[in-house]
Amino acid sequence: MKDFRIDLEPRGAVRLIRLSGSLDMYSFPRLEEQLNTLFQQGQYYVVLDCRELDYIGSAGLGALIGFAKQAREHNGDVRLLNVPDRIYKIIELLGFTKVLRVHNTEEEAIDGFPVT
Amino acid sequence: MDLPENIRRKESANQLLLQTPGHGSYLAYIRTIVVDLARKVGFDESEVAKIEMAVDEACSNVVKHAYSPDKKWCWQHRDPEIRLDVRREGDRLVIEINDHGQRFDFANYRHADIEDRLHQMKQGGYGLFIMRNFMDEVQYNSNDQTGNTLRMVKYLKKS
Repeated sequence: MKDFRIDLEPRGAVRLIRLSGSLDMYSFPRLEEQLNTLFQQGQYYVVLDCRELDYIGSAGLGALIGFAKQAREHNGDVRLLNVPDRIYKIIELLGFTKVLRVHNTEEEAIDGFPVT
Repeated sequence: MDLPENIRRKESANQLLLQTPGHGSYLAYIRTIVVDLARKVGFDESEVAKIEMAVDEACSNVVKHAYSPDKKWCWQHRDPEIRLDVRREGDRLVIEINDHGQRFDFANYRHADIEDRLHQMKQGGYGLFIMRNFMDEVQYNSNDQTGNTLRMVKYLKKS
């Protein structure tokens, strides 16, 4: 069981957040706090690298929808990158992939965001 | 996996009894243990993932709602606990999740259409939909003697 971690890496104007561990109702407030901080700073171009995630619950997914909606209102977005297959199948089954953009490469994920 | 001292676990050939504090920090342990058991029973990985999520939704609801500080618990002199009874009964996995918190009006709760919620980019309200769609049976029972019990069943499908 990995501890939940958040690591922030700027990519020009884009904020790449690497997540590891489990994103459930207990750990999600930490990501929520990070996203709120970014939005308060006017940083609405966010990519969440999920390669090291072993679980995402519906509380996290639902909140990410809320953040994506807010970011899009400011011409930004919250996108998912490298979602493990096991998790991707679940979120696709639930329909979350109709609302959240999911990418397999960093290039795709940041495509369309401003370079600087 | 080393378990914290305040998690009690008792396992036999076809049954697992698990008792944890009713706090969100224990959800990951519950998921790990249930996933291990579901794999041993023989569910494929996609079904294991569904069971994991359904159990997590149920236990998250216990932590967030049943034991919410502003709610009335069955037995308020006791610390919040989550009790799981996970057992194989023939070709099915039965999972019972018990708490002594505020009871939930399960019978009358109607979850909104998920397509509608997603279209409106609503943040919450997906938990019961997930349980009902990822498990084959979902029932809820509540009484003053045993508290609240959510019973979920997953059928082991023949390949």
